[in-house]
Amino acid sequence: MGNPLLSDDGVGLSVAAELKSRLDQSDVTVMETGMAGLSLLDLLVGYDRAIVIDAIQTVDGKAGQIYRLDPEAFDATRRTASPHDVNFTTALELGKKLGLALPQQIIIFAIEASDVSTFSEKCTPEVTRAIPTCVEMVLQELNMESRYTTY
Amino acid sequence: MKKITIDPITRLEGHGKIEIFLNDAGEVENSYFQVPELRGFEKFSEGRLAEDMPQITQRICGVCPEAHHMASTKALDDLFHVDPPSPAKKLRELLYSAFYVTDHTTHFYILAGPDFVMGPEAPVAERNILGVIAKVGLELGGAVIKTRMQNHRIIHMLGGRAVHPVFGLPGGVSKGLNEEERKEVEQIAKDSVEFAKLSLKVFDDIVLKNKEYLDMVLSDDYTHRTYYMGLVDEKNRVNFYDGKVRVVDPDGKEFAKYAPREYLDHVAEHVEPWSYMKFPYLKKIGWKGFVDGKDSGVFRATPLSRLNVADGMATPLAQAEYERFYSTLGGKPVHHTLATHWARLVELLYAAERLLELSKDAEITSPNIRTIPTAKPDEGVGIVEAPRGTLTHHYITDEKGIIKKANLIVATVNNAAAVNMSVKKAAMALIKPGKKITEGLLNRIEMAWRPYDLCLACATHTLSGQAPMEVVIYNSKGEVVERLGQHLHP
Repeated sequence: MGNPLLSDDGVGLSVAAELKSRLDQSDVTVMETGMAGLSLLDLLVGYDRAIVIDAIQTVDGKAGQIYRLDPEAFDATRRTASPHDVNFTTALELGKKLGLALPQQIIIFAIEASDVSTFSEKCTPEVTRAIPTCVEMVLQELNMESRYTTY
Repeated sequence: MKKITIDPITRLEGHGKIEIFLNDAGEVENSYFQVPELRGFEKFSEGRLAEDMPQITQRICGVCPEAHHMASTKALDDLFHVDPPSPAKKLRELLYSAFYVTDHTTHFYILAGPDFVMGPEAPVAERNILGVIAKVGLELGGAVIKTRMQNHRIIHMLGGRAVHPVFGLPGGVSKGLNEEERKEVEQIAKDSVEFAKLSLKVFDDIVLKNKEYLDMVLSDDYTHRTYYMGLVDEKNRVNFYDGKVRVVDPDGKEFAKYAPREYLDHVAEHVEPWSYMKFPYLKKIGWKGFVDGKDSGVFRATPLSRLNVADGMATPLAQAEYERFYSTLGGKPVHHTLATHWARLVELLYAAERLLELSKDAEITSPNIRTIPTAKPDEGVGIVEAPRGTLTHHYITDEKGIIKKANLIVATVNNAAAVNMSVKKAAMALIKPGKKITEGLLNRIEMAWRPYDLCLACATHTLSGQAPMEVVIYNSKGEVVERLGQHLHP
């Protein structure tokens, strides 16, 4: 998730682009989106597992740091916290209530951003350096058994 | 697993802020509505190919990409001096109508609905879509999701993607509809018309039949007599995709009607030292401050404005609802900000009906969808109605079509002055010396800006969304007496 035009805000999309070239996409779909809220539901329906990659900003965070977040932190990243309509948790809860086929497990990888308010198609150097590391982390996650709390 | 605690302050990053200042007596002295700054969009655009702008500009906003895509595409028609063939214009309007159905549906059920269905004083934890479906029924929640998904399907069909379509080109569009697709669109349109009718019934049952709510809608606390702006067709009916911009005065009389190219003759922007947002006003009236009335250049561009500037709706069911709207609310124009929610639903019905009309149009499956531009590009302006107001894109290029200058006036910015006035008026009416400031009271202040469907994202060209808003109240010594970011943790 991210905005490709706002410096580090687009880091999730850069990771996704790299994953696209590394993954056999017969059983994994890599999607890119700048939308939040209910639109996320539309994207998640029908999948068993989901990995969300987004930018984050925390107090005293070090640019380029990568966090693996569990469902409790779903309202924390750039897009899951700041939707047009509802937050991620509410959207998921709504989807569940409506009986939509949502993923059993959702994990977020969040990369600490430095600049998310300057128009640029490039990430800052620290964040750029985090991209290959995050790619490896996601690949590892995909190879792991589903052993974390399910939503 | 590593546990991370995230400081809530960071969640405010990129969001709006309302600051309310009290005097010694504890009354509201002033209030400011602020948005954060983004840097460098104009510079970012310089040197790019003009034909890339529909793809670039739709990414500056995560809320209404299709509106930017369409305004940009129309600016390119003008820039390259090319008139698209009739089927192409109809296909653009068809996609745009489907987008309107999704966007207006989202606003009503997610943002506006909870205030009325759950009540303005309901605990914030319940005042959301989950509370709405708990009260109104799961079936309605399903219909909301289905309507959105189906109409996104139309955008996908034509634009290749459900969001960020690759569709508009100077002189036409990239893809048409075949008969099989047309049939699918027709069915979705029929379902959408039914959904819009149901939504109007929900509004009727919950708001109009509840005296307390109707009184609130009609109360002076949520009323401003301003100028209004919106696009109209050749018969002065509401049009989202094309036409001339019409402005009416607070008495409802036509004040101006102009083609997109003339926008700079009519709109100027006022700058305040405390905000990054510019405040557009009617140039011929002038900036007189944050005040309403005929002598003030402040105007509004919202669903309510579009109804106020028009002589009617172009489809039968929406026209009937338009007439009921004005007969119920005491004639034209309507100045009650909260009536914008109803106006939005009238437009939802119009969008669905127009989608249905276009899906049955004899030209809609025509392969004649593009006129190749041959003239040299120089300057172009495109205007559409974004769901939240008039949206203008203006580009100047060199003769190779490289952008030299880009100017956008986005929907939310048009309403910046009015939003400030609405917040201040509600705050002055609600915050009184000695009266406890409750969450419900602050929500009633929020209800003054919610009808504008603010897209803070667009307003300063960011993506961060529109809902979260921090409200800070200061006493006369400048100390914070109350701080609330209630939409951050619903």
